Amino acid sequence: MIAQEAQYRDWMLAALMGDASAYRMLLAALTRHLRSYYARRLDPAAAEDAVQETLIAIHARRATYDPALPFTAWVYGIARYKLIDEFRRRKRRPTVPLDEAGDLFGHDEAEEAIARRDVSKLLEKLPPAKRDLVKDIKLDGVSVAEAAKRTGMSESAVKVTVHRAIKSLNASLGKTPERRGDADG
Amino acid sequence: MRTDDLITGLAATLEPVKTGTVVRILFGAAMIGLVGSVAVMLGAMGLRHDFATAITSFGMWTKLVYTFAVAVLGFVVVERAGRPGADMARPALLLALPLLAIAFLSAQQMRAPDADMPGMVLGHSSRVCAGLVTLTALPTLAAIFWALRKLAPTRLTLAGAGAGLFAGAAGAFVYSFHCTEGAAPFIAIWYTLGIGVTTALGASLGRYLLRW
Repeated sequence: MIAQEAQYRDWMLAALMGDASAYRMLLAALTRHLRSYYARRLDPAAAEDAVQETLIAIHARRATYDPALPFTAWVYGIARYKLIDEFRRRKRRPTVPLDEAGDLFGHDEAEEAIARRDVSKLLEKLPPAKRDLVKDIKLDGVSVAEAAKRTGMSESAVKVTVHRAIKSLNASLGKTPERRGDADG
Repeated sequence: MRTDDLITGLAATLEPVKTGTVVRILFGAAMIGLVGSVAVMLGAMGLRHDFATAITSFGMWTKLVYTFAVAVLGFVVVERAGRPGADMARPALLLALPLLAIAFLSAQQMRAPDADMPGMVLGHSSRVCAGLVTLTALPTLAAIFWALRKLAPTRLTLAGAGAGLFAGAAGAFVYSFHCTEGAAPFIAIWYTLGIGVTTALGASLGRYLLRW
């Protein structure tokens, strides 16, 4: 059973009876789950579109929720369908494994917070200048050009610095640098 | 549009949903489809000439009960198929019950001492039966597809198969008012084949026609 099931189901049942404030809380909570679900599977722009499309689908088809069944499984079914639909539109035919709703809801904020803490601990191992550069580009999404302007370095120097920093972090974890192809392919 | 604005907009247009909406949509579509199927049967084939006496015969009731039972299970499968996260396997497995029942009845009829085996299996319409069942089912299949698109089927081939199962059984039910066969082996083979063909048709169309 998924931890949030009881709370979300209560909100959903209230929403089905017309309670807009319960509905708003439900959609806001689902948005967080959906964002992280799609972010791990689609590129950023497509991910936010998929979040919105899924919210609209949840809204338009909310009558298909059967209160006798788990609410999280219902949302997961819709989220997964929208993911497959997005792949289909791009003429890709990946197989989306038939996981469980835990795939959408298991990734909770506590886990994310721990991951963020681990990352900042790891970054402390770098010299300050490099640390800021890695943080800006890899975590905060600053463009290479902007970072170059800020630091007065050339763009290629920024790239090389970040690349080496990541490599040394990986080495400190005892891993070989991985190629990041999964999200972009 | 920003996602926050979207949520605000959706919450602002929220209206209560009546319970039983899914069943109501599907049932309404099934009734419309059945009217179409009856029209096909009456228009293209006609009511059986001996209907007045046949309606009390064992063979007629074998057809009606068998096809009705399959149609009920088909309806449950479709209703489950329209709801994300719902289990379709259990109602589908219950199909074994009417299938076993008709098989058992067939075996019993064929074991009778004066059994006319070829007549019971082939009747006089075995070559057209499955095709006419499928033809009769088409309006119902179209109506159920139309209704399913308003729901949220997430496994389109299975949902299409469920729609075909219901439509095939409903078509066979309607067709049995035209057909003069009544032997259980005939029904077990040819009616079931007609339902199977409609199920396969629904399954193959599902992924193209049920997207939403």
